[in-house]
This record gives sequence, structure tokens and C-alpha cells, in this order.
Amino acid sequence: MKLTEDDIYRTSTQYQHWTFTAAQLAAQRLQTNIQASERVRAAVARQRAPRSLKAENASASETERGESGANTPVLAVDREVNCLTVGEEKKLVDTFCKRALDLGDFLKLPIEVTATGVQYMRRFYLLNSPMTYDPQTISRSVIFIASKAEGHHLSVERYASSLPKTTPADILAPEYLITQALRFNYEVRHPFRGLKGGHLELMALAQGKPALLPTATQSAQELQTAMLALPRKPDGPATSMTVAELEKRITDAYGLASHILKTAALLTDAYFLYTPSHIWLSAHLLADEPLTLFYLSTKLPLSSPMHDKLLSTLRACSTLLSSHPISSHPLQTTASAEQQKKEKEEIGALLKKLRQCRDPDKIDLVKLNQAQKRDVTVRVEENGGEGLEESKAKRRKVARERAEREADEFWGPSLKRKDEEGSGGNLEKNGG
Amino acid sequence: MSKAASRVPGGGAAKDEAICPVCKSSRYLNPNMRFLVNPECYHKMCESCVDRIFSHGPAPCPIAGCKRTLRKAKFRTQTFEDLKVEREVDIRRRVARVLNKTEADFETLRDYNDYLETVEEITWNLILKIDVEATEKRLRLYEEAQKAERNITARPYQPDPSLPSEKAQVVLKKGASQRKAVATSAANTPDSRANPQDGEVEKGFNFHGLKKYVPPAPEKPLDPFDGWAIEPQFYVVQDDYDVEWLTQTKNDPVATAGGYDMRDFYSRALCDAFSGFGVFVEDEIEARAKGLSGDANTGTRSAATAALGGKDVNMDDVF
Repeated sequence: MKLTEDDIYRTSTQYQHWTFTAAQLAAQRLQTNIQASERVRAAVARQRAPRSLKAENASASETERGESGANTPVLAVDREVNCLTVGEEKKLVDTFCKRALDLGDFLKLPIEVTATGVQYMRRFYLLNSPMTYDPQTISRSVIFIASKAEGHHLSVERYASSLPKTTPADILAPEYLITQALRFNYEVRHPFRGLKGGHLELMALAQGKPALLPTATQSAQELQTAMLALPRKPDGPATSMTVAELEKRITDAYGLASHILKTAALLTDAYFLYTPSHIWLSAHLLADEPLTLFYLSTKLPLSSPMHDKLLSTLRACSTLLSSHPISSHPLQTTASAEQQKKEKEEIGALLKKLRQCRDPDKIDLVKLNQAQKRDVTVRVEENGGEGLEESKAKRRKVARERAEREADEFWGPSLKRKDEEGSGGNLEKNGG
Repeated sequence: MSKAASRVPGGGAAKDEAICPVCKSSRYLNPNMRFLVNPECYHKMCESCVDRIFSHGPAPCPIAGCKRTLRKAKFRTQTFEDLKVEREVDIRRRVARVLNKTEADFETLRDYNDYLETVEEITWNLILKIDVEATEKRLRLYEEAQKAERNITARPYQPDPSLPSEKAQVVLKKGASQRKAVATSAANTPDSRANPQDGEVEKGFNFHGLKKYVPPAPEKPLDPFDGWAIEPQFYVVQDDYDVEWLTQTKNDPVATAGGYDMRDFYSRALCDAFSGFGVFVEDEIEARAKGLSGDANTGTRSAATAALGGKDVNMDDVF
């Protein structure tokens, strides 16, 4: 009964619930989008029904009087809600993931916390649409949950006060919603520590004192010599470096890979599509290809069938990572001003569109969260949604009171408090 | 005269109890007086007498006619009022320590009952001082045999000190006539087993139908993981790595004082580096989606789905 490191990974919730093939991921997003759009349309129609009725009456009376201004409300009723497409949703989520990342930087949170938060966000929007829940609110709440999950505790008051126009209630309102969407899987397996492990092994290889696998064919000395002669670029000429130069090269590669992991890996679907081991190796492959390939060859012989498969997976993953505009290279992080402006406009338009197609039932999460609590009397308003909440609350209250009364009949009333005890005791004595 | 008569042992129970037979002090003079008894001879005397006589080592019993050597350490308060009962209980306790079989140790109930009969016979022999010498010897032999068989380090069987034994005879220098009397009594009393067998000579007793002792299997070393072990395929953890960014933590007393071991970090980092190295999502997740893999997890999930009426749990409607 032996467990390999792969078996350990297979037991994780990340593998069990949050790993998909590209096709599954696309299907899931499409389904979420369709469901959310239907919901938004239904909710908007429900909301407009009484209003349109009124408008019709009004227009009817107006037509009797004259023809002026009758067209506007009728148009509003007829206009179909223009919902976001899957691509637009994804774009929005990516934008807000980036903003969450910036938020983490701004609050000086450790990268694990921000990274976990960003992954929570991506997981959340796999099952929910930005049309239903506002990504801005969710992104703030998600970072707060991640800070708790990663053991970097912040008080909700302090956290809320460091954000503009935010109260603790805003942060806490969608918490349960997010947790449920995450299926209560708080663990996110990041590639950061794995990268450190790989770095340690590479350094040991460079220093000529690695612990070799039992299947290794070359000695530590041979490996070191081969490593010193590694070309700088793929298919480049062989070099002869000193150990110090090689160590510097490994450290540089580590820095670059780490940067990719902290940006591109978080902002793409890499976590859904690949294992953390593949992610850090791909990032390392982007950072220093000959070095990574050499490292892989010490782990897997070139002849093994797994080698080719692994390499193609890593190449695919590194293509995904480098496809993200912000992070293919730390020097190129700032795209051209024109591109940035275009991007900004695009997102502005998307946000505007989002505002048109929000699910009206789910706009005020704080109120919804309060309505969920005990003894909250939501004021009855004209529209149907909140009246429903109100009746629910009333029903609950009645049920609870009945249960208490029944319990009192059976068990007797609850004990009197101390200050009431004196008189009560006397009365009882008299009665007996 | 009446005073003298009251001091005669057995003259009056209440008075007898209140006066120490050695120093003749009464409870009237010393209300805190306690009487002690030594299992060698079961003669009662007061605590102060014990202190006075036996503080400087073993001494002969001060009661007239009893010449047994007593030690202070063995004195104790009696449990039973009747000293005969006290002695019987002591003997039974000693015998039961040696002959401690249960019904489960015998093949048939009949054998067990025979065994109990033998035990009772031996006990009564000792209580009634019949054939003491031989019985003690047999008990000792039997205990040694048991000990050898079970390889235990228990307290050895102590013969009844209130009965004359070889050692006691040496100390007390008993007369030859007395010794002879003991020998004849031993010869006269009919033995429960007229013809002791060979095994009995060696082991003291040989009970019929006693199951062979099977020593319990030696306890296995504790395995907290129930046979599971983590055996990495792709890495070997070294004891130390010489990397610059680790040196600070390595030498940081804040980390080391708390018991933090760098090797934990090494193994965790390397395990993280390669967990999922051989997991190819395209293949495995595809297979899982098709339900081809006999994965237990998939099974439970589909069962849960079935229980909920063929739909996945609706996670999104909290409000």
C-alpha cells in the first residue's frame, strides 16, 4: 500500500471538483450563461409586469386625450434584455480577477491569500454569472474569505475600512453564497511552493550534490558537467558556465517563473486545466527552456512514453500562460498606451452593458442576507420579490413561536431569572 | 483475683481486646492504642510494644511459648476480628496466586471442577496444618514451572510463615521431637494423589485436562498509517539544501526554537512540486466524466445525485 505524490494530488478537492478539460469548462460556462440569462429575463419581465400594466392604462388614457409621448413606456416593455455572452462574461471575470489581484497588492496581503481569493472568484463565476452577482462585491468578499482560509487573519472592520464605500455588511453578505458555490472546498493548491522545491533541486544539481533517483543513469558529476554546458537559448550553442553563473541563471529563472505564477497563472484558466506541478513547470519552461528540459530529463528518461506526453502538456500550458497579455515578461507588463486605452474602453462598455442586464432580484445582497436572518421584517414594497421574502419571514416567525409554545406545554416554562425569583418563589410556596 | 482472671486470654473478649498481652497497658490509659498482628504467629500486641521490641531488628515473639522471629515490617492491623479467619484468608490468597486457573483454561467442566477440588484440598491442608512441608514444596515447584512456561517475572510464592518450615526450624532450633511429629503427620495424612506421576514431581501438580498454554502473539509495532506509506516517484529529499534564501530561516532562532525543522519544508516543497506530475487532466478527467474509472468518489457522487432525483445539488439559490 503505497501512495505516490500523484495519488496525494488525486485526493485533493481541487482535482476532484475543480479540474476540467477545456471542453467541460466551456460547456459549464455556456450552461451558466444560459441559466443566468433566462433568470435575468424572467426577473425583469416579472418586475415590468405591473409597471407596463400601469403604463398601458396611462397610455390608453393619454391616447384618449392626445397622442403625445405615448411611445416611450411601451418601447421599454418590448425591449428584450440584452444579456452578456459567454465571452463577455469571461472577460469581465478576468478583469475583476485582475482587480482583486491589485487589491491584494494594495492591502499588502501575501500572494497566497490573493491567489486563493482569485481562484475562489474564478470558481464562483464558473457556477454563477456576473449578471446575477456583481463581480465588484464578490471580489472584495472573496479576498476576505481567502484571508481566513489561508490563516492571514484580518478583522472585517479593518478590511472594510481600507476599501472605499464599503461596510462590513457588504463584505459579509455574500460570504455564505460564495462558500456554497465553492462547495465548501477552501483548499486551493498553488504552484508556488512546488516552484521552490524545483528550485532547491536545481540548485543542488548545479552544486553537484543532488540526491538522485534510483533510476538515474548519470552520476551527479556528469549531470553537473552537462548542466554547465546548457545553451542559453533553445537550440543555441553550448556554453561553458561557472557554477556561480549557473546558480545565477537558476535564480533568475526562478524569479521569472515566480512572476508568471503570480500573474498569468492566476488570471488564466490554468488552475482548472492543469495540475500545480504542470503549471510551475510550464512557467519555468517559459522562463528558461533548456534548463527546464534538462531538469525533466533527470526525472524522466527521454525514451519513456510519459516524457512526450508531459512535454506536450507543458507546452500547451505554457502557451496558455504566455497568451495572457500582462505577464509574458516582467519588462513587457505595460502594454502600449493605445492598447491599454482600447482595453479600458472595451471594459467600460462591458460594464455599461452589465448594468443593463443585472438580475434585479440579486442587486442588494445585504438586504437579501438580512432577510435570511431571524426576525427581520422586510418592508412590503410594490414589487413582488420582497413581498415574498416578507411572507417567508412571517411564516418562519409563526412556526417558531408555535414550536416554543408546544415545548413550554410539554417541558414547562423556562426558569425565571434571578431578579424575578424572589416574588415567584413566594407565590409558589403560598400556592403549595 | 478477679482482676487476674480477667487478664487470662479468652476470659472476656471485650477486656481482652482492651489490654495488650505484652505490656498490659489498657485502652483506659491510652485511648489511641492500636493492636497489631504479625502473620508469622498471629499474636496480638500494641503498637508501642511493636515499636519497643522490634525497632532494632528482628526479635523473637514476646508471647510466652512462641519463639518465632518477627520483623517490624510485617506487622499490620488485623482485618478480621477472628484471627483464625485472618490466617485462612491469608492462606487462601497465597494459594490462589499460584493456582489461578479459570474455567476457560480447561477442556471440560469436569476437569475444572476436579481442579477446584484439588485447590480446596490443598488450601485446607495448609489451614489445618496437615502435610504442610510437602504441599508447600509442590506449590513452589508448580509456581516455578508456571513461571518458566510463561516467562513472567512475578513475585515468588512465599510459604506460609505461620507454619513450621525448614527455614523456621533452623532459626527457632526446634526440637527433634517436634520435627519428627511433623514428619509423621505428613506420612499419616492420606495424600490426595496417592501415586504422584513423573510430571508432578517436576511441576508440583499435574491437572488433568488443562489446556496447553499458548503465549499471546508479540505485539506488532504501532503503524499509525495502517500500512500506507508515501513513496515519492520523482524526487528524493536531501537532508539539506544550500540555497541563499534559506540561510536566514535556517539560522533564525525564532524558527528553530519552536521546533521547526527545515526538512519538513523540503519534503513538503518537493511533494508539492511533483504532486500531479503524472496526472494528465485531459485523460483522467475525461475518463472520470464518462464514469469509466471505478473511482469510489465518483460512485458516491452519482449515488448522491440519484438520491436527489437525478439532479445535482442546487448550490446557487441561497437567498
